[in-house]
Amino acid sequence: MTPLCYFHMQLSIAYKAPSSRRTPKIVALPARLEIIASLFLCFLLISFVSAQTRRRPRPTQPQPQTQAPRGSATKYSTFLHSSDKHKSLKCSDCHRVPTAWNAKRDFPDVADFPDHDACVRCHRQQFFTRQVIVGTGPSICTVCHVRAAPRENARFAFGAPNNSNQPTKPKQQWQFTNEFPHDKHQNAIAMLHRLRSVFSNHKLTDDKKPDYNNCSICHKTDDTPTLARVLPQPVPLPRPENYFKTMPHSHDACFDCHWKDLKPVSDDCGGCHKLAPAAFAPMTSPKRISAKFAHEGGKGEHILECTTCHINITRASTSRGLTPDVPIAACASCHKDSKKTTYPKAATIEEEFANNKKTGECTYCHTADVGKKKPPPSHDAAAQ
Amino acid sequence: MRIARTVLLLFGCLAPLLLNLAGHTQTPQAARGVIRLKVRYKSAAGMKDLPRKRFFLIKGSLEQNQALTDTIKQTQFTSRQCYYRSHGASDALLKWLDEKDCESIYCHEIEDKYISGSEAVPEFKAAYDQALKELKTPEVARRWLPNYLPAELRDGYYKTRQQTIDALTKQAETATGKPVMSIMTDRKGTAYLTDLDPGVYTISNLVGSETEKSSILWICEREVKATDLYIAMKRPFMLSNEKDPKVKCEVIERPLPACK
Repeated sequence: MTPLCYFHMQLSIAYKAPSSRRTPKIVALPARLEIIASLFLCFLLISFVSAQTRRRPRPTQPQPQTQAPRGSATKYSTFLHSSDKHKSLKCSDCHRVPTAWNAKRDFPDVADFPDHDACVRCHRQQFFTRQVIVGTGPSICTVCHVRAAPRENARFAFGAPNNSNQPTKPKQQWQFTNEFPHDKHQNAIAMLHRLRSVFSNHKLTDDKKPDYNNCSICHKTDDTPTLARVLPQPVPLPRPENYFKTMPHSHDACFDCHWKDLKPVSDDCGGCHKLAPAAFAPMTSPKRISAKFAHEGGKGEHILECTTCHINITRASTSRGLTPDVPIAACASCHKDSKKTTYPKAATIEEEFANNKKTGECTYCHTADVGKKKPPPSHDAAAQ
Repeated sequence: MRIARTVLLLFGCLAPLLLNLAGHTQTPQAARGVIRLKVRYKSAAGMKDLPRKRFFLIKGSLEQNQALTDTIKQTQFTSRQCYYRSHGASDALLKWLDEKDCESIYCHEIEDKYISGSEAVPEFKAAYDQALKELKTPEVARRWLPNYLPAELRDGYYKTRQQTIDALTKQAETATGKPVMSIMTDRKGTAYLTDLDPGVYTISNLVGSETEKSSILWICEREVKATDLYIAMKRPFMLSNEKDPKVKCEVIERPLPACK
């Protein structure tokens, strides 16, 4: 008998003795109820203590997370880093850095989901649920696996790049934002004079290309086939993404320098990844509004340094809110009638204004949705 | 009673209209200023543009920032050559850094020819060997080689310099109560400072920029007026190490010291 149980019984007895002497008939029923209630409490207490003892974690496991929260099984089909229990863990409690990466990457990386043990040590209940008997399979499995079935090994691709031909999740969502001091990186790599082969299957820079502030180490011309190129489009796409440059999309770009020693190092996930308040759809490239600029175009004449047109980029201290804005004045430094002697084939802003008077559109640089609007004052100033 | 109801009805109809009108008649967004900075220096080979150097924009005139400018002038900084020599860098590494005017080893690719062969840098070779032992793949080992260099050779100089700059910008921000903006010059020594409040500013590189033979420190003043970018592009703010009576500027040029 637990001490608390004994205490309850003593209370009942102590209460019963004096009262029975005075009003035996009236007190008899409450006294019995008292005993029954005490016994019931004892039963509850024993059940609770024994249940806790059964769920005590193994001593070798990291941080004891004794009990997974209860809830419907379907709730566990989505993994949330933001749950209180998950937030209390270290990244390395579940993720191995690096995992066995050779099959999926050409560099050491966190290339796969954590092992079963990382989940089962807290989510035993969700793994061995009634769903197993019913035949649907535990929904928690679908966090990583394509299907929830005991002998189903196929998993979704983990992270990027996906070189493994594994299927991707139907709805890709990120739970972390990336902290990236753009200016510091620009300081460090500004002198790089050639593209690194790892970042691209794209041709190396030729001698005409700028050799300072070479942003191409991280931002390459997107030459992957897109729907716009592969399929005939009834209407031109409003955002022809392959006019623009790409952004780094894998740890490879970071680990070149931050693999070890230079902070944040590869196993310090929180050094770059900060938990977002809510899951969000990843942004593969900045929002494009209208412009149709071909970096590799200009009949081979777009050889100016990136910062000649992206005049604000060197002041950006983070990647948040970073926009590749280019003022029209930067374009007009070449695309102007007065520059015809230097760039005889270049379309000029004056010509476009003349076209606009005839057609009501500016389509050389803009997509139709914006090209039909009245040019802003900055354009007038650039044309003067 | 009827009059009161009518007034109430009229007020109900007019209120949104008035509010809307008030929104439109608010003061238009204040005009902004732009500086097109153009930095050049005179060397033995003639006038040259100063590429890839950071300049900082601090609110207030030179007089207003007197304490800060005094600190900037007093700040002495070890030259790149002396820093690397004092940390035991080989001649080959110094040559590699000089080739592209690099402050750290991150600034250009470490190609195979710098790992083995006549141009090999001993520090790179040692780091590559260690990387290959751990990473197994030659290509990954070459790319990730910087991870296996000693910190003081890898980016120690850049970091020490950055610490000095950070301390100075912090002092400036505390004194002025305004954030310090920084931009980097392009290969033609040009940089743009856009979206500025009209007013007087101090422009400086805070720590002397090394050229072939000397280190040049600029501490200048510029009045910014509301202007269009296109006009600013035509009228750059020229900085150089030569005397220019039109520019309110203190230029301190020190010869690079001989290293022990």
